[in-house]
Amino acid sequence: MNSTDLILCAIAAAALDICAMVLIISAYTERRSSKRYWKRTTGLMELTEPGVQFPLDCDELLIGRHASADIRLADISVSRYHAMLTVDSGRWTITDIGSKSGIFINGNLVKKAVLRENDMISIGSHRLVFRRRREKSE
Amino acid sequence: MNNPVSYVFSCLFVLAAHGAMLANVFINGSYETVTQPIILTAAVMLLDVAYFIVMLFFRQTTYTVDFLLVLVLNMSVIFQSCFGGVHFSVKHYITAIVAIAACRGGYLLCRDYRWLQRKKKYFYIGIGICMLLILTLTGSRSMWISIGSSTIQPSEFMKPLFILACATSVTEQLNKKKVLIFNVVYENITLLGLMLAICLLQWWCRDLGSLPTFMGIYICGFLLRICYPKAKFSKKTFITAGIGLMIVALIAIKLAPDYVQERLHSDIWNDQDGSGYQQSQALIGIANGGWIGKGPGQGALCNVFAHDNDIVFATVCEEWGLLYALMMIFVLLIMMAVPLIVPPRSYYHATMAAGVCAAFTVQTALNIFGSCNMIPFTGVTIPFISSGGSSMLVSGFMAGMLIAAVSPSLKEPKLRPARPAIPAPAWRYQR
Repeated sequence: MNSTDLILCAIAAAALDICAMVLIISAYTERRSSKRYWKRTTGLMELTEPGVQFPLDCDELLIGRHASADIRLADISVSRYHAMLTVDSGRWTITDIGSKSGIFINGNLVKKAVLRENDMISIGSHRLVFRRRREKSE
Repeated sequence: MNNPVSYVFSCLFVLAAHGAMLANVFINGSYETVTQPIILTAAVMLLDVAYFIVMLFFRQTTYTVDFLLVLVLNMSVIFQSCFGGVHFSVKHYITAIVAIAACRGGYLLCRDYRWLQRKKKYFYIGIGICMLLILTLTGSRSMWISIGSSTIQPSEFMKPLFILACATSVTEQLNKKKVLIFNVVYENITLLGLMLAICLLQWWCRDLGSLPTFMGIYICGFLLRICYPKAKFSKKTFITAGIGLMIVALIAIKLAPDYVQERLHSDIWNDQDGSGYQQSQALIGIANGGWIGKGPGQGALCNVFAHDNDIVFATVCEEWGLLYALMMIFVLLIMMAVPLIVPPRSYYHATMAAGVCAAFTVQTALNIFGSCNMIPFTGVTIPFISSGGSSMLVSGFMAGMLIAAVSPSLKEPKLRPARPAIPAPAWRYQR
């Protein structure tokens, strides 16, 4: 193989490499647009209590005392796996998954409830507010 | 489409990459008439452009996997068309189109995970049908079903079904029932039974090459099931599972049939004309190719049996060079890494993507390391690169599953009826 062919091979290999790099960059760009889409379809909500914010970034979130819970409330009054938050068509639902102390929404004991903005969720001794995420925390 | 500029640039760069490869074929390739590379160029460019247009009809949040898929599929068409002299490989081109169609089908079927969860029993039924087909139609202890001049490998079709069966949501895993003193999820027990049945079946039909792929999918699914909801690995569970797996592997090696024992203990250089023929030729081919290869269509490995599927990595190395072969694998790795860049939004889709990546990784590793004599030769295909209808179809479907995981269907919120505003809690205003 002469030097011209070698250069051609190198160019072809470089073209493939550059293409792969462009696609990686494109994936990072799409990550942002994916977040925007998520925001549009779910309202980009969060659970807050004084000084702490829990962003709701997945379809299913587990609330509990256990270290593996998505929203960990390290308190003995909270069951290990206390409640489940799910989203469908922009509606967030909280479900009691067999907790001992139950879930209270705005003071009412519920097994399952659709959440609305500014609802107060009481889980054990914790008071969490379900609200739209602030710009700063995005 | 969220970012038209990114989309157009990605299209142009994919076309440029294929154009550069085809220029290499024109200048360095071995062909009798220039018509063959011209047909190949037209076919590759046509497939590229057609797919870019088709993608516009699908509303997705991310198209990266699609671009990587078309990039790797047409790379594969160019590679396969150059084996044994430049010609247009019509058969592989058709299977590439079938893979693309399967990918679209996979995407449409898997983008709504709630629907998938409701239909889960059908995946088990599908796996059962595949197993029955293997038992009844493949003949005496074989893995192929012959239909006229073509053959089908039913075990390939079990892979996406098994991935879908292994995928799970957190809600499903919380649905535990008390059996004696244990809290168990019935589905996990069913899945273990299914895995054992698949192991026995693969053993029976002498398709032990596919077994590591199923094991990879199952182990991945099992770990994600026991470590839900976040991947918090319990050291004790992890070590116990690892030890258990090693014991099973040792017993399996001890009880393996004669032909497997022969492959495990054979010295390929002492038996170059016998059982070590393919591997020794593959290694010689890789060495002959060097970094930049002998040139498209100028390799000698095309005379070796299964040069276009079982030892395709070595054939690509010989003709295109190790540099190209490694980049081919790099493109596959990027495809598998996309869920890390654009993470799935549901646990079900995350476990599904992990299963697809496990299957692709195990298959690619088995093929490459088998060709290089680092592990016993298995005859497993590299997804999208090796020839073979069943493999291409199933790989395409699994790529569709990957696209569905990173680009799920999320329903827009419906307009809610007016309701009285609830005042914000008082503590929010306390400082």
